[in-house]
Amino acid sequence: MHLLEVSNPVAQQRGMINIFKPNPRPSSLDGKTIGLIWSGTHGGDLALNRAGEMIQERFSNVSVNFYTGGNYPTPPAVVKQAAKECDLVIGATAD
Amino acid sequence: MCHDMIEVEKMGKPAVPIVSGRFEDDALASSRTFGMPDLQFVIVPRIYRNLADDLCVSQTEDAIDDLIASLTSDGTQAAQSDNDESTLRFEGEDRYDAVLKMNREFTVRDWSDALPILPPTREAVEKLIEGTNLDANDIVCDMPPGFGIATVEQIAINSAMAGAKPEHMPIIIAAVKCLSVTGGHGGKSMLMSTSPQAPMLVVNGPIAKKVGLNGGSALGPGRENEINITIGRAFYLCLKNIGMWYPHKMDMDTIGTTRKFVPCLAENEDASPWASYASDRGFSDDRSAVSIFTTNGELDVQDQGNTSAEGLLKTLAYGITFGNRSVGHLQSQERLIFMPPDVALPVAAEGWSKEDAKNFIFEHAYGSLGKFIQFMPAKDARVEEEWQWIRGKTEQELLDTTIPLLASPDKIDIVVVGADRAKTLVFPTGPSPETIGIDQYLP
Repeated sequence: MHLLEVSNPVAQQRGMINIFKPNPRPSSLDGKTIGLIWSGTHGGDLALNRAGEMIQERFSNVSVNFYTGGNYPTPPAVVKQAAKECDLVIGATAD
Repeated sequence: MCHDMIEVEKMGKPAVPIVSGRFEDDALASSRTFGMPDLQFVIVPRIYRNLADDLCVSQTEDAIDDLIASLTSDGTQAAQSDNDESTLRFEGEDRYDAVLKMNREFTVRDWSDALPILPPTREAVEKLIEGTNLDANDIVCDMPPGFGIATVEQIAINSAMAGAKPEHMPIIIAAVKCLSVTGGHGGKSMLMSTSPQAPMLVVNGPIAKKVGLNGGSALGPGRENEINITIGRAFYLCLKNIGMWYPHKMDMDTIGTTRKFVPCLAENEDASPWASYASDRGFSDDRSAVSIFTTNGELDVQDQGNTSAEGLLKTLAYGITFGNRSVGHLQSQERLIFMPPDVALPVAAEGWSKEDAKNFIFEHAYGSLGKFIQFMPAKDARVEEEWQWIRGKTEQELLDTTIPLLASPDKIDIVVVGADRAKTLVFPTGPSPETIGIDQYLP
């Protein structure tokens, strides 16, 4: 019998050293402001706008703000603005 | 988009991306890459980009319950690590059998290129580390697209799998470093593209000859390209297992390309009438450097009888005029020309500098705007401000409008490569190439 010992080629990812947990969710979307961030790719705007409409139909006093930087990744200033102005954010890249 | 949603989460607000089904593994991998492995996301079956409008809406409607649930309830996912073993052990009837078992396991885990690899034993790895002045634990960079930590040891492990020699290590290390400074976020968007973008390594300077890199018929298989193939393969394995460039996770290519078996070659400096490519980038001839181009296709532009500079360069200018011309926020809009000596020498013999040749090619590489932009409808939100006038034009007007293929002559790079035939190889490229010195990593 022969025992072969080899090193693992897979590196540690920088992102897995300091892990962030997602924020707690509200129990309802009533009265919330929802941000929609679009990458600019065909169809993503249709998806986000429809999602915003349906959330407004199901919950009361929901506001919807639409954001796009015209590309992905979204410019940091646009992401920051959405996070500042909205309670929750939905994004779509279209792929 | 996972990146953007994680940025929102880090600012204290819940955020959810809508992800197309084929991109589920990509979303999981991206979540790990950007430090939030428990990011919640919603899956829809089809990619929006190529769907009719009514289908974009209907598949979103079908996912609305999942979307609302992910906005109103905390997720239950738990971050898992599937890679805790620093050493792997394989038992076989003899060493050959153990190596076969290791190869099977590495292929199953998608840690190789599916060709046989050599075992990265402790001895093999330590020998490679002797090929550089760096220590095993020195960090070269965080390697895109997944930002794995590229220690010298980790680079050596993957290089050992490719059969690299210690003298190759400074080139491989420099190439890994070079990728991390190429394009935005180390070319992350390009590497994760659904198009076949792939890195190409070009080596200049004394080290190329010293290790035996070929600058002649440099891109094919076979004995004369053994070193080209070995160094390119080592870099590819680093990109895969350090950069996490795994298919369907962080390499989202639609069809793929053999250029992802990363090509590496030397410029044919002995046969070139001009200063080397690295010299153009500020490196003197006694210094070695590696450049990374991000290629997105290739085309043979052959000349069957022109001998004058203008004749040869017109063939090239017309030959490189193919494909798309971006009017939006897309980076793939340059041309890399591997010019063989039988084109470069007669051009230079008439007194043309490399810059003269680039200017001439640029000035003669024109085409139909309508054909160039057919791939991206004028209404696309990514059309840049300076091009928004196209929205008022008819299809015929756009077809009848001619424009330069490239934005400027500096979007053309010329590297002299090849044997004695007038067969040029052209690559659409972008983002712009980067060059890194190799000597800093010599032992």
